[in-house]
Amino acid sequence: MIEPGMVSTLLRICLILVLISAACLLTTRNLSSLVRTYALQSLILVAIAILIGVIENNSILLLIAGITLVSKVIGIPWFIRIIQQRIKIQQDLKFSYLQPGGALMVSMLLILLVYLCFSRVLKDLFTENSLFFMGSVIGVSLMMMGLIAIFTRQLAITKVIGYLSMENGVLLFGLFVTELPFITEFVIMVDLIILVLLTTILTVGMDSSIDAYTNRLKEFHLWSEEEVQA
Amino acid sequence: MSFTPVLAGLFNLGFVLLISPLYMTVVKIVKARAQRRAGPPLLQGYYNLAKLFRKEVVYSDYASFISRAAPYASLAILMVAVLLVPVIWIPDAAPAEGNIIVFLYLLAFTRFLLALLGLDAGSTFGGMGSSREMSLSAVIEPTTVVVFAAMAYVAGTLSIPEMFRHATTIIPGMSPTILLLSVSLFILIIVETGRVPVDNPETHLELTMIHEGMLLDTSGRNLALFELSHAVKQTLMMALLINILIPIGIIQEASIIGLVLAAILFLIKGTALSVLIGIVESSFAKMRFFRVPGLFMMAFFFSALTILSEVML
Repeated sequence: MIEPGMVSTLLRICLILVLISAACLLTTRNLSSLVRTYALQSLILVAIAILIGVIENNSILLLIAGITLVSKVIGIPWFIRIIQQRIKIQQDLKFSYLQPGGALMVSMLLILLVYLCFSRVLKDLFTENSLFFMGSVIGVSLMMMGLIAIFTRQLAITKVIGYLSMENGVLLFGLFVTELPFITEFVIMVDLIILVLLTTILTVGMDSSIDAYTNRLKEFHLWSEEEVQA
Repeated sequence: MSFTPVLAGLFNLGFVLLISPLYMTVVKIVKARAQRRAGPPLLQGYYNLAKLFRKEVVYSDYASFISRAAPYASLAILMVAVLLVPVIWIPDAAPAEGNIIVFLYLLAFTRFLLALLGLDAGSTFGGMGSSREMSLSAVIEPTTVVVFAAMAYVAGTLSIPEMFRHATTIIPGMSPTILLLSVSLFILIIVETGRVPVDNPETHLELTMIHEGMLLDTSGRNLALFELSHAVKQTLMMALLINILIPIGIIQEASIIGLVLAAILFLIKGTALSVLIGIVESSFAKMRFFRVPGLFMMAFFFSALTILSEVML
């Protein structure tokens, strides 16, 4: 059995790794690395859920870790990777409003702002358990950084990853502060999968007419010839 | 005056001068292996230095005393910096008075000397290299200051030996703030030693040269001194990272066996870090010049975050 002190240190390290992965999501231009970083970030969330589950002896958290592992670490990245291979986009070099350096600076300010706000709002939690307080700050900060990724990136596929990162922030906040019911977590996960499916399909045909869209789907082998004829 | 700090300083200096070329070669071997080449032998760095030391020095017709003095001054300054960074032995009294701020200025001074040397020979490439080096250093200096400030804040002291002493009290790799700080320090090693993706030390292309551009007109013994300075600078930066992140093995009480074990351990840790640098170099392409500040921003972000996390945790 792991000692509680060790678990708490591991949790702090995981939180720091979450921030490092969020910074990488804002600056990485290579799409494969972006997807890999997202998968890694989700894996860290799995580790966090397991560690909190161990501390609190809560089996629901272990279930949440399980579905996060299946959906966010394996499922969604796998699907995005397939789409990415089909549409042959390797890099996202376009940024709007903010370049990666500027995005990092804004994130820094946002983290500071969240910390200042939370130190007033969650004063009790801060005095009671600084680890859970920091978890909540980093959770909301991750949401904000995901939001920055959404509006600084131009390609739809990278915007999706920003959205997914935002959801990771919600999950992190949920793990540390509010205990979301398992069913809600599950529904969010299903929502995410549908979002990824829809967006990747739209990514393929966003700038085409219906006819051209069908042709483009065929071009990318997303839709087989028989299905089109039927 | 106690004899121990002098002994510790001399030992440190000798050790750093001895092992520095080895780490440079390890990086080259890893890069070569990544490109499916055999790479140079492990002692190639020493052979190169020996060869260069034997060769004649040729000066440009336009060269002033700067070209003659800069190589010696550069190595001498770095040797002073070595006295501030205990690599394997932290004596009770430091061999030289100084702290992280002095260390920072010593590094900046060698950079300044190199830029002067680039301009001194009056060649186009030298001037171009100096111009690029100074443009980059204008951006990197604030980041370096913040990284060192974060180090000082985490350890609660400006003295480098005290920082290492503080690191020995923490379980290696188990402090979140030190983990964050290591990311910034690693980026700093890449930047300060002119490695890919910031600079390519092995190229002689006009488009990519920064460090090499300034050294194009340097030859023989002078080039050997600069090569050695570069290697010493890299070892110093690596020692900062290693002794803060994994200070296992660093000794505080001198003994022959302790020193030998500490030296072997540092050699292993340094080789592992050199392999990591080589892997990073092989995985990235050289960045466009105007995209390099993005990397500095990462180091700045992580070091600012280190201070913030130290407050939050």
